[in-house]
Amino acid sequence: MNTSVEVGQLLPGFSVEFTRADLARYAGASTDFNPIHYNDAAAAALGLPGVIAHGMLTMGTALRVVTDWVGDPAKVVNYYVRFTKPVVVPASGWVRVDFGGTVTAVADGVATITIEAACGEAKVLGSATAQVRLD
Amino acid sequence: MPITEQHVGRSYPATAPYEISRAKIAEFAAALGDADNPAYSGSVPIAPPTFAVLLAAGSWESMFADPELELSLSRTVHADQRFTWQRPLRAGDEVVAQLRIDKVRLRGATAIITIAVDLSSTSGESLCTATSTLMHTAAEAA
Repeated sequence: MNTSVEVGQLLPGFSVEFTRADLARYAGASTDFNPIHYNDAAAAALGLPGVIAHGMLTMGTALRVVTDWVGDPAKVVNYYVRFTKPVVVPASGWVRVDFGGTVTAVADGVATITIEAACGEAKVLGSATAQVRLD
Repeated sequence: MPITEQHVGRSYPATAPYEISRAKIAEFAAALGDADNPAYSGSVPIAPPTFAVLLAAGSWESMFADPELELSLSRTVHADQRFTWQRPLRAGDEVVAQLRIDKVRLRGATAIITIAVDLSSTSGESLCTATSTLMHTAAEAA
């Protein structure tokens, strides 16, 4: 892959359908038990339209765009996101988030990937960029 | 007196060591829908990169417990997150986390706080820095 990475290259994207069960599972795994991620009343008290996904669940899932492409997650050297819009997860059913990425720079054996994460029309991550070693 | 620019530079004692287990790595990878990546299983798996948040968040309590700052997690919004890794976290690592307040900006009742958490092994190896911007709304305005 290191011989053929070019600026503008698209990385394979994917979609995830998040359910409340996914939030419960991430809460346990991450030990983030903020009630806005499982309790509608707690979310409403903060002015949210409903229970929202952990920003870190979205951030962690989005990085799969990069790690699936590069293969070895040990090659990720840094990663930044802004949490721009909450992902509201309904009590039953699911909400779909679409993930994708583009190579935006290649220098000194390191590729910079800009990551997109969209829930319908809303971009849920802003300025999401990761850098990976191409060795 | 709540948090102000004068608290920039304040740091807190490192957390108690957290030993990363293969089971916790597997649980975290599964929660990200990423259990199939072979790097996260085997005899000495690495952790998914954002596993670092679990360790960094352990240090947040030290700042939120500081009575001088008058902070509450329930009035805090996570605005952005950056990780810089020196090497991947691995099963068997014993990790401590130390939080430092890097920047404070006040906009009316809102404090925009940048915190940097350094993760290092108990043998002193630097592993990762997790930097977060938090938007905190003072109680009076809530």
